[in-house]
Amino acid sequence: MSQADLTPVPVETPTSQPWEPRIIAFLCYWCSYTGADNAGTSRLKYPANVDIIRVMCSGRIDPDLIMTAFAQGADGVMVCGCHIGDCHYIAGNHKTMTRMPLLSRVLQDFGIEPERFVHEWVSAAEGDKFAKLVRQVTEQVRQVGRLDWPGRMYRRGVGHGEDLQPWGDQA
Amino acid sequence: MFDATDSAASGSTPGVQAPRVGVFVCHCGGNISDVVDVKRVAEEAARMPDVVFTTTHMFHCSDPGQALIEQKIREHALTRVVVAACSPTLHQITFRRAVERAGLNQYLFEHVNIREHVSWVIEDKEAATAKASRLVRAAVNRARLLVPLDKRRIPIHPAALVIGGGVAGLMAARDLGDRGMKVTLIENRPFLGGRMAQLWNVFPTNEEARPLLSNLVRDVVKHPLITILTGAHVVNSEGVVGDFKTKIKIDARGVDERLTYPGNAIAACPEETISEFDFALSRRKAIYMPYPGCFPPIPAIDWHTCTKCGKCVAAVGGKGINLDAKSRELTLHSGVIILATGYDPYEPLLGEYGYGIFPKVITLQQLHRMLDPEGPTAGALPFDSNTPVRIGFLHCVGARQIDGVNAPQPDGKVKDYCARTCCTAAMHAAVALRERFPKSHITSFYQDMRTYGRGHEEYYEQASQQGVLFVRYSPWHPPRVDKDRTGKWPVVVRTNDLLTDGLPIEVPLDLLVLATGVVPHDISELVTMYSCAVGYDSFLLEVHPKLRPVELAVSGVFLAGCCQGPMDITEACSAASAAASKAAAMISQGQVEMDPFIASVDEEVCTGCQTCLTVCPYDAIVRDEARGLAIVSEALCTGCGTCAAACPSSAIQQAGFNDRQVRAEIDVLLGV
Ligand code: FES
Repeated sequence: MSQADLTPVPVETPTSQPWEPRIIAFLCYWCSYTGADNAGTSRLKYPANVDIIRVMCSGRIDPDLIMTAFAQGADGVMVCGCHIGDCHYIAGNHKTMTRMPLLSRVLQDFGIEPERFVHEWVSAAEGDKFAKLVRQVTEQVRQVGRLDWPGRMYRRGVGHGEDLQPWGDQA
Repeated sequence: MFDATDSAASGSTPGVQAPRVGVFVCHCGGNISDVVDVKRVAEEAARMPDVVFTTTHMFHCSDPGQALIEQKIREHALTRVVVAACSPTLHQITFRRAVERAGLNQYLFEHVNIREHVSWVIEDKEAATAKASRLVRAAVNRARLLVPLDKRRIPIHPAALVIGGGVAGLMAARDLGDRGMKVTLIENRPFLGGRMAQLWNVFPTNEEARPLLSNLVRDVVKHPLITILTGAHVVNSEGVVGDFKTKIKIDARGVDERLTYPGNAIAACPEETISEFDFALSRRKAIYMPYPGCFPPIPAIDWHTCTKCGKCVAAVGGKGINLDAKSRELTLHSGVIILATGYDPYEPLLGEYGYGIFPKVITLQQLHRMLDPEGPTAGALPFDSNTPVRIGFLHCVGARQIDGVNAPQPDGKVKDYCARTCCTAAMHAAVALRERFPKSHITSFYQDMRTYGRGHEEYYEQASQQGVLFVRYSPWHPPRVDKDRTGKWPVVVRTNDLLTDGLPIEVPLDLLVLATGVVPHDISELVTMYSCAVGYDSFLLEVHPKLRPVELAVSGVFLAGCCQGPMDITEACSAASAAASKAAAMISQGQVEMDPFIASVDEEVCTGCQTCLTVCPYDAIVRDEARGLAIVSEALCTGCGTCAAACPSSAIQQAGFNDRQVRAEIDVLLGV
């Protein structure tokens, strides 16, 4: 089978619903994902704006994936992994630890406010912390408002404007 | 918006069947469907491309639920399966097996968590349904790109590590040893026996605790396959199921078997401290043995209290004591690990029900030490058997607390769970006291009498027959323990008795025994080391209370006893035996299965820049000098994907989590 044959996913037409922040959270499976489970088993409540994508280790979280998320319309991105020293793969999170602050700088150069990109360690037992983090990040992203990065970049002529054509200007 | 073909297209994988996706959405008996409109989730998923079948089921993890999945795979020739249910840590394995039974590769399955991550955390039904729907559709899009993978098998190191030398750990070690497994039992205190050694007599058989325990200790000590290490602390753990490498530090004991007359050495020691074994009812020396017949049968030195004055050494002629002994470190290899780290009795806060203020307010643990003929008071209470003493038992101290009524613990929470053992233990002690002090008046202040176990209710019955008075208090208005204004009694308890329609009563007492709850022993370091799931009550959390009751979500780590929740000795022993058989079953398989999410290099794209070599935590990537390419050693790769994130040309991809698969999720999540 050629994957090129795959049918495109239908694009939902935007509804007239009021704007809600869309946040993507990349979580490593061993600590942070289990920490998020812990928030669930403890029946802690948090807003529905954060969608979790599971990877095996926070080391897998390619900055490129984060850029993709912003480029596709995310208003915020969270990256969570095991605390330093607890990574299931010894030191995958050491790479995360060095990558994320760098990325954060780069994002700011691209006009993405620091509030939109949060990087935290969440252990398997820290359901509390995870729930709090989701509340906090949702709130701070709400404060800075809609990102609409593709549109912004296009308008400001940052980067390669031609490449951005397919996404269109959402302004 | 995004170009969906981009994520799903580009390149083809030979031998991969075209996607025909089946979506199964679970109600979880209402756990999910009370909040999430599961029907709508299924309907919206049905509109995704390549989805040929969707349904919902009350319990997909049940036998009929699994059978339905298998049947539909066959009926609709499904080639990808998405199940939206609880957390994958719980049932991913269940569904993978079901998928495999239907003849499909198990990695063509995608699990969506709409319980822990949706229905249990999001209150708004509309928002929860929308989120569940998003997650399911994202999973469908990802599933379309899944390819069959083969499990990897690695040999298992045929040895077990048991952490904790209390009754549960001893039991687990003995059971494993009896099955022919090599076991190392480590205990962080200098002596074996744990909390059970501190009890005087135990229900439901009215046996003395320590002789009972000694039998077990003897079996373990004599066992040729079991190695015991006391004073041993886990400092670090590496590796995964099959080969855990646990680094431990063994405290210097300072004493060895050549010390033949420990009594002389102990008597010579001038330094004293509070005895933790006697719950501060007595004092002990810096060189000490907690009780006669302890194991190891030689004293240990408490280095915090010892001043190295050398008097003990002089008293025994220098033989068997070394005040300059050093701690040592060693690494243990084991295929599996059993956690039997136990509990601590709840320590009432200062002033809680008069504890720490009135000397005649003690805990049930302290009462046990006092009743113990080998204890600090040699079994005597401070009354003679003819005085009509008044004794009270106050139940649920540090258990079943209510937020806003009881003072919060240092962690900010209240202990709102039932400690399960203290009602029976209090009744057991009340009966014993009535026998010993026939003229005593005993009052039990309780919320609900939970003598639930086999042979437990009998203690309640006996206590009633022997004239123990029952006063039922409301948890919203816990009793108050005050000083007696007349000065005649050490303490008085004031409460409203619900059994007499809330009548306010005042009970003066000679002794008030607090039946305290159970809190997990502090193992926060182990919790982070093994990424253990922990429940809201801080006890370790099994994968599933019914289906996998003694397993942690971390493969190869099992739970025995009170680290998992309050248990009596009977239950802790059953749990330990269960954990031992689970562990033994895993070891006797000879090998463990590992997820196949390993990295591979696309040789066409790799430029040989070697970035991946520098980030791999396992040195699993080497450079093929001849061709100038990176090569992943499958045997060493554990599948973290760090290299995949680092590769500047995306030449390294992680199976199961390649760029396109992850992007396929992002596409849908943000496409709304
Ligand atoms: S496994 Fe959690 S960060 Fe590596």
